[in-house]
Amino acid sequence: MIKAENLTFSYTGSGPFILDGLELFINDGEYVSVVGDNGCGKSTLIKLILRFLKPTRGSITTDAKKIGYVPQKSEASNSGFPITVWEMLNSYRRLLKIKDKSVVEESLKQLGLSEKAKSLMGNLSGGQAQKALIARALMGNPDLLILDEPSAGVDIDSQRDIYTFLKKLNIEKGVTIVSVEHNLDAAISNSTTIFHLHGGTGHFCTPKKYSEEYLGKDDSHA
Amino acid sequence: MLSFGFMQNALFVSLFISVLCPCIGVFLVLRRYSMIGDTLAHSSLAGITIGLLFNQNPVLGAFIFTSLCGALIEFLRRYFKKYTDLILTIVLALSVGTAITIISSGKLHTSADSFMFGSILTVTETDMVMVAVLSVISVLTLIFLYHQMVYIAYDEEAARVAGVKTELINYVFFVLVASAISVSIRIVGVLVLSSMIALPVATALQLEKGFKTTLIFSIIFSMIDIVSGLFISYYLNVAPGGFTALVSVFVLVAVMAGKKIRFREKRSSEA
Repeated sequence: MIKAENLTFSYTGSGPFILDGLELFINDGEYVSVVGDNGCGKSTLIKLILRFLKPTRGSITTDAKKIGYVPQKSEASNSGFPITVWEMLNSYRRLLKIKDKSVVEESLKQLGLSEKAKSLMGNLSGGQAQKALIARALMGNPDLLILDEPSAGVDIDSQRDIYTFLKKLNIEKGVTIVSVEHNLDAAISNSTTIFHLHGGTGHFCTPKKYSEEYLGKDDSHA
Repeated sequence: MLSFGFMQNALFVSLFISVLCPCIGVFLVLRRYSMIGDTLAHSSLAGITIGLLFNQNPVLGAFIFTSLCGALIEFLRRYFKKYTDLILTIVLALSVGTAITIISSGKLHTSADSFMFGSILTVTETDMVMVAVLSVISVLTLIFLYHQMVYIAYDEEAARVAGVKTELINYVFFVLVASAISVSIRIVGVLVLSSMIALPVATALQLEKGFKTTLIFSIIFSMIDIVSGLFISYYLNVAPGGFTALVSVFVLVAVMAGKKIRFREKRSSEA
C-alpha cells in the first residue's frame, strides 16, 4: 500500500534532515500507528504520503485508489468558520463528485452524529468534531485512511468510541489505517503494527514488543 | 431623486456591487485575507491611472492591473512563506508607486480624484456595461466553484486530498477579487473599498449561522449599507463612499448590540 525508499526530507532542502534515509513498507489491511518524540517527523511523514510535501531525496509511493485524511484537530477545527456539520460534509461530497446525497446522512449516522447535522462545526465538542472529520474522511469509501493524532483534545468516552470504530473499520472493511499517535495506550491496544520514528529513520515492531521494549510494560497491557 | 439619470446609473451599479462584494468578501474574511482587499484596492488606483493614461476605460484598466497584482500576491505567498506580511507591503509599494508616478507626471487628461472617494456623478454608460458584465461573470464563476472555494477557505489540505486544484482556484479567486474591486471603485472609492468587502460579512458573522446563511445575510447587509449610503449621501451632498462606510459600521454596531441584548434576555429568562 505504501512504500518509502531512502526517504529524506528537510523543510529548507538541506541538512539537518527531519527524515534521513527512511525505509517504510506498509501492506494492505494493516493498522499502523506512527509513534515517536515531538518533532521527530511523524506529521511530516504523513504529509509526504499525502504529497503535500515533496521528498528532498528518495521516494514515497502509494497505490491507494482513494485516500481519506483526518488532520490534526487544531489544524482543521477553524472554530470561527461559519459552517454546519451538514454543509461541511455535503461540500466534501461535491468535491468527491458523489451524486448521491444520502451519503452525507449515512456518514453522520455511522459516527452517531445525525442529531448534530445542523450544528456549527465550531460549536461541537472535541470528540464530536473529530468524529465529524472522520465521517468526512470516510466519504467515498477510501482504501487508505490517514489520521494525525485522532485523540488529541478528545474526551475519554469519545476516544473509546473513535478507536473502537477505527479498529472495526480496519478488521471488517479491510481499510488500511496509518495513524500518528501520541496516545501510546491507544496505539498498543488498537494497531496491528507500530512504526517508531527516531533520529530521522524508523523501524516496525509489534505492539507487544513496543510495549515491552520502550515502555517497560508486560504484555498483559496489550 | 431617482428621476435623475445619474442617480439611476449609480443605483444600477450599487445593486451589482452589493451582491458581488460580499460574495467575494466572505471568502477573503474567512481566509483572514481582509487586508488583501485593502492592498488590491490601492492596486486598482494604479490600474485606473494606467487606463486614463492610455485613454482607455479606467474600470477595465483597474480590472487588468488588479488581477495581475492578485496573481502576484498568490505567487509571492508561495515564495515568502515565512514572511507573508511582506507580500502586501511589496504589492502596495508597486501599486501606490505606479499611481503616484503617473498622477504626478501631469500626463493625465482627467482627474483620478473621483475614484479615491467615490462619486455618483461620474458613472458612465460604458462603466455600467463593464460593471454588469464583470459582476455576472464573477457571480457565475463563484456559483460554479462554490464548493471548492468553501473548502479552500475552510480546510485547504482536505480540499487537496479530494483532488481540488487549489493553486489554480486561488489564482481564479484573485481575479474575482480584482473584478469586485474594479466594479466598486466608481461609487465607493478606493479609500473605503475594503470596508465594503469586509464589513457586511463581519455583520453577518455576528448571527452565527452556517456558511450559506452567512453569505445570504452578507448580501442583505451589503444592500442595506450601499443603497442607504447612496441615498443619504445624495441628500447630505457628501461622497457616497465615505458615508456608505459609516452606515456599514453603524449597522455592524447595531447588530452587535442587538445580539448582546438578546443574549442577556436569554440568560435572565433561564435564571
